[in-house]
Amino acid sequence: MSAIDYTQELSVVEGKPPLREIDELIIQPLDTKPDKNFFIALSITGSMLLLGALMLAWSFYKGTGVWGNNNPVAWGFPIVNFVFWVGIGHAGTLISAILFLFRQKWRTGIARFAEGMTIFAVMTAGVFPIIHTGRPWLAGYLLPYPNQHDLWVNFHSPLVWDVFAVSTYFTVSFVFWYVGLIPDFGTLRDRTASKIKKVIYSVFSLGWRHSNRHWQHYEMVYLVLAGFATPLVLSVHTIVSFDFAVSILPGWHTTIFPPYFVAGAVFSGFAMVQNVLIIIRKIFHFEHIITLDTLERMNKIILLTGMMVGYAYAMEFFIAWYSGVQPEQFAFLNRAFGPYMWAYWIMVSCNVIFPQFFWIKKIRRKISVMFIIAVLVNVGMWFERFVITVTSLSRDYLPSSWAYYKPTLVDGGILIGSFGLFFTLLILFTKSLPVISISEVKAVVDGAQPSHGEH
Amino acid sequence: MSDSKINKTKSSDYWKSLKEYYDDPEILKAKANEFQDGVTDDFDPSSMSGLSRRKFLALMTASAALTATACSDYRDKGEIIPYTNRPEGLLPGKPGYYASTINDGNESYGVLVKTREGRPIKVDGNPDHPINKGKINAKIHASLLDLYDPERITDPMKAGRKSDWATVNTEIISKLEAAKTNGKEIAILTNSINSPSSFAVLQKFIEKYPTTKLYSYELHNNANRLNGWKRAYSADSILPAIKWNEAKIILNMDSDFLGREGNTIENSLLFADSRDIMKSDDFNRLYSVEAGMSLTGMNSDYRIRLSAESYYEFVLSLLNEIVVKRNVSAFPVNSQLLSEIQKHSLTNFISKNNLNEGRIYNLVSDLLRNRGKSIVYAGDSCNSDTHYAVILLNEVLENTNIYDFENGFNSVYALSDASELDELVSNLNSGNVTALINFDSNPVFNLTSKGFGSAIENAGTVITFALTPNETSDVSEYVLPINHALESWGDAHTRVGVYSLQQPVINPIFNTREKEAEILTWISGNENKYSQDIFHSFLKANFNTYIGEKINPVAGQDRFWYASLHDGFVKLKPTESQPPVFQQTKLKATGKPSDNVLLQIQPSYFVGDGRYSNNGWLQELPHPVAKVAWDNFAAISPKYAENLGVENNDLIDISYGDISISIPVIIQPGTADNTIIVETGYGRKVCGDVGLEVGFDVNPLIDSSSINPYLVSGVSVSKGNGSYELVSVQEHHAIDDEFVKDIHKKRNIIQEGTLEEYKNHPHFLHEGKHEIFSITDEHEYNDVKWGMSIDLNKCTGCGICTASCSIENNVPVVGKDQVGVGREMSWIRIDRYYSGTPEEPEVSQQPMLCQHCDNAPCENVCPVNATNHSPDGLNQMAYNRCVGTRYCANNCPYKVRRFNFYNFRDHFEDSYYDNELTSLVNNPEVTVRSRGVMEKCTFCVQRIMDSRETAIREGRQLKGSDVTTACQQACPTNAIVFGDTNDAESEVSKYRNHELGYHVLEELNVKPNVTYLAKLRNTHSEDV
Repeated sequence: MSAIDYTQELSVVEGKPPLREIDELIIQPLDTKPDKNFFIALSITGSMLLLGALMLAWSFYKGTGVWGNNNPVAWGFPIVNFVFWVGIGHAGTLISAILFLFRQKWRTGIARFAEGMTIFAVMTAGVFPIIHTGRPWLAGYLLPYPNQHDLWVNFHSPLVWDVFAVSTYFTVSFVFWYVGLIPDFGTLRDRTASKIKKVIYSVFSLGWRHSNRHWQHYEMVYLVLAGFATPLVLSVHTIVSFDFAVSILPGWHTTIFPPYFVAGAVFSGFAMVQNVLIIIRKIFHFEHIITLDTLERMNKIILLTGMMVGYAYAMEFFIAWYSGVQPEQFAFLNRAFGPYMWAYWIMVSCNVIFPQFFWIKKIRRKISVMFIIAVLVNVGMWFERFVITVTSLSRDYLPSSWAYYKPTLVDGGILIGSFGLFFTLLILFTKSLPVISISEVKAVVDGAQPSHGEH
Repeated sequence: MSDSKINKTKSSDYWKSLKEYYDDPEILKAKANEFQDGVTDDFDPSSMSGLSRRKFLALMTASAALTATACSDYRDKGEIIPYTNRPEGLLPGKPGYYASTINDGNESYGVLVKTREGRPIKVDGNPDHPINKGKINAKIHASLLDLYDPERITDPMKAGRKSDWATVNTEIISKLEAAKTNGKEIAILTNSINSPSSFAVLQKFIEKYPTTKLYSYELHNNANRLNGWKRAYSADSILPAIKWNEAKIILNMDSDFLGREGNTIENSLLFADSRDIMKSDDFNRLYSVEAGMSLTGMNSDYRIRLSAESYYEFVLSLLNEIVVKRNVSAFPVNSQLLSEIQKHSLTNFISKNNLNEGRIYNLVSDLLRNRGKSIVYAGDSCNSDTHYAVILLNEVLENTNIYDFENGFNSVYALSDASELDELVSNLNSGNVTALINFDSNPVFNLTSKGFGSAIENAGTVITFALTPNETSDVSEYVLPINHALESWGDAHTRVGVYSLQQPVINPIFNTREKEAEILTWISGNENKYSQDIFHSFLKANFNTYIGEKINPVAGQDRFWYASLHDGFVKLKPTESQPPVFQQTKLKATGKPSDNVLLQIQPSYFVGDGRYSNNGWLQELPHPVAKVAWDNFAAISPKYAENLGVENNDLIDISYGDISISIPVIIQPGTADNTIIVETGYGRKVCGDVGLEVGFDVNPLIDSSSINPYLVSGVSVSKGNGSYELVSVQEHHAIDDEFVKDIHKKRNIIQEGTLEEYKNHPHFLHEGKHEIFSITDEHEYNDVKWGMSIDLNKCTGCGICTASCSIENNVPVVGKDQVGVGREMSWIRIDRYYSGTPEEPEVSQQPMLCQHCDNAPCENVCPVNATNHSPDGLNQMAYNRCVGTRYCANNCPYKVRRFNFYNFRDHFEDSYYDNELTSLVNNPEVTVRSRGVMEKCTFCVQRIMDSRETAIREGRQLKGSDVTTACQQACPTNAIVFGDTNDAESEVSKYRNHELGYHVLEELNVKPNVTYLAKLRNTHSEDV
């Protein structure tokens, strides 16, 4: 072992870049014209988005019948996608709020981007509850608005809870994100030469002058919002899990779902953030800000949450056996050995087995391998939602109504479209806002804070 | 000036110009003369526009309103026209009911047709009818749709082009006259003639044109049964019906008497009568011997799997055991018969066919113990020797009092035998037939194996009466569109004791005519003699001679006619006659069973021999055994499938002679090895879009030498190329797959016992069960609370409830593609479960519909309250409020909710049923559901509301018995009971509290309101 001085906190930013350099580095993508690669990437995601939009238009025109949903399996891809995307969002809030409260400085390099991903993921997720309904033009019925019929939503229904949970989550995340951006808008405003940009940045910076008072207020607001967002990390996916847990369907009706879903959401969210950041740090030369150490820490969280998810898988089986309830036992055996066993074993291997490689430090720090493992984790987590939703429905109580669900090309197109939407928004984000919090990073650079050491 | 100035300051504080300020006289002048000369000169109201202010405003309002409405999208632009002269007896919004008769093959059913505003919307059984007692089969239920079939032939056609009646009739009459003068044959080919009046019309035609020959055929007929019967008794003896309710032991030899063989409704009614636990626990016991799994086989207490070639031997072996070994016989059996009987030994037979010895000997002792109270019944597919042997066995066992001669079968005109049909074909081929008249028959499709398709080309002129285009009309010179049964007059006399009348309930929708009216016109020799009531008056006159004069009613013939028309039937006095005397002849030893592969050809349960092919409701009813819809298939045993190396959906090639067809396989548990069961009625080549090329035409494989189509021996079978997707409403998984085996029993979905167990231990079903309690207070229902109970002892799984429900509740036809992806819409379905081994499966069936749970799991998950509970205990749907999240369907443990994945009104076959004509079939009391909406059984809430309305109007309390649901009304065994569960005296309460009553998935505590009565199998105690 090399001699590490554990009394000294290691800097989360490598080297000791001058603060001005940090400004320039982070702002550079905003100041330069987009290059060819940007347009190539945008055209790919844009095409995906267009494909999804076309498929969606087709579904609206013809009806939900163009999807694979059938009689026992009334929920198919749209709900799987919804849960998947809501899950992806979780890492952002966890990084920006919870890690903030825990004073984890390494989060500074990735928080902004992760928060952005949260917002885009929730936006993507939010599309699905609306489009999956049979009559999407009546989706407004899901909101409790006063009306002459005296009709209210059914407050017993988890779907209504979902409406509240997801919209609250989106609002809070958005406000949190925006508040974090205010000092950076100030910096941008101060630096830009373009008049139009100046006007825009001025408006959004809300008169930020980097004054001491501003900082004081800002820190307090940020802390309060972090405190506010923290329970939401837990509550949103808990409530999403209620969509399943509150039902009486074997395989859904499980009390382990809330923690299991939250762990899974963090798991997949971190994997997605890790994936995207690996690319971003390379393209924008942020290697010293989003350091290998940061990535390694994220991999540790992936390893931890992966094992939590694995524990939940095992516990589901145990409880099913322990309950002595035949349909319950069958539901789980059917997952592992029934017609959808392929999906189940994809899920188990991607979520439980592959992340185990992160026990090895070399792999944790090897970018290419960790990238692949994180991709697999997201594949696995998508399949987890597929297994939960489809497998349980396809063989429920009465064997007479069992049927196999086969997604259609339209289902696939909408799934691709959701990735298109998410990544299109991300790509536009990289060129319009600082993807790393300038002010926060500057605050954690070695020597940025007053210390006794150099006196 | 000063004055004026003062004046000015006073009068005009306001001035417009300096000139005005200084009171310029010009201005003053102009002011004094506001209306200058000439300004008002032309004011002449008469010369002005006639548009008054009032009118102008009116026009403005109207045009504004017009603009507003023209821009709005009001889709239903149908005209609404009030009655200026309301037809008598017709009250808008109130249904009218008419008794009538509808034929199905050689059977006729008394029906009650419900009409609304002059259009028939539902056909049900006539409750007063002495034979079918208010019940009809699915085909008759669904025949309503044929009336509104958009592809009906609307006008007479000549050589494929639209023509008119005058032209075609004039031409036909001259051709008939020519045939008469030239002495050439005119052939009339008809299906079974059930109507005495039709027959009289045809006879008059023969009188007029003496060269006419009348041929009558049914592809699926009872010729063998009749031959056997006539051999055993006399040629003119009546073929009896069976008093199934009096038989304690029933041995069924491959007769699907509950399913498709004929007279199924009466059979089911009587059979279930002695399986009614509410009446007595003295059940009948049904043994079925069959090669293919049939509806009757599924309902058997014991099913004996046997190859069709061994039936004869089996009956003879039984005779040997009973007559020779046990020395039991009501009379001495003659030596010729005896010697044949002695050739067969039951012990040998059992060991040779690997049968369960105990089971067969139980059968023998049951038959012996219940002499005079049992019946052996052979199916139409058995040869006439087997029929004769069965009759002998019944005679030996003194079972003849189970025969019902009073309601025996009447044949108005005997079916032609094989030689007569062969003669027709050869006459056609030799060009001797100048005119072939197809009297609503489709021989080109049905009689392919006789070479009818090529023979018809040699006929002089082919005239075909048809409702929709078919293979025969396609090659006919003249196609004459006929009235649907609901547009026609007619009568039927298919049972000795009952004569039924048929009356039109709607004017012909198209330019169609009754076929009899056409024949009468031809007889008159002049098209002008046709009038719409030509056959009506003939029928009335014929009624007088055929019935009226015999009965000689006191009220006079005219009133008797109207009274009979009102009732729909006339009950005839039984003629005093001795039961026929059995004649002992000899039995021809039929060939020994071979190792040949046997092809058994059966009519389809729902489309018959193909005559109902263009009916979406029938095509979509799942096969009662295989649960396959929209296709036929070859059912083979698991072992045979293994030998052939095929799986479900794989094609096999069946060849016989030089004919070969490919057909997909269904591996059917319980099928005899080396046997293939196929159904006719599919693979129509010329048909409406619904039935066109649905399934596979097996008619060419029929043995052309025999009138009996049922059995073809010595076909060769091989694995074909590729596969074909069959769609089914239930998954087909191997029944011996340990993983899913017997789940229906493990989960107590099906609860069963034996009769013996029940007798010893009436509470056996509920022993050891946990009491389920709720942790919350239960909602109280103080008034009527609706509930249903279904007696699984009586339910045969025929599927008629599904048909009736779909018609009553406007359930759409979704088509094969949608059934294939599990989106069938039926609100009530029959679940079928196998247990036991693939060779000897035990079958359980269960009608499944919305259980209207008190703690309905669907209700609390709906985010918009679209599904909720009514104060009378109904789980109801507000379609307008439904957004279509489908969460309710996920959370329904019974999976009875149905989602409109498309607008199913126009999805099927390019909006086939979405047109002005076919939408007339919809029940106006039931909402037609749009795309994206969830739906399910409502317990026929429209009928409940109707009864409630009546009760309120009559100032009394609504009673549970006031309401009959559509499924209950249609159930041929009265297995469904509906009513008020709060009323302790109601029938449904008695079922609910019966010791055999149970709820499916009780442990979920959703508190369903459908109670099932556990099935009791009447097996021997030692089998338990």
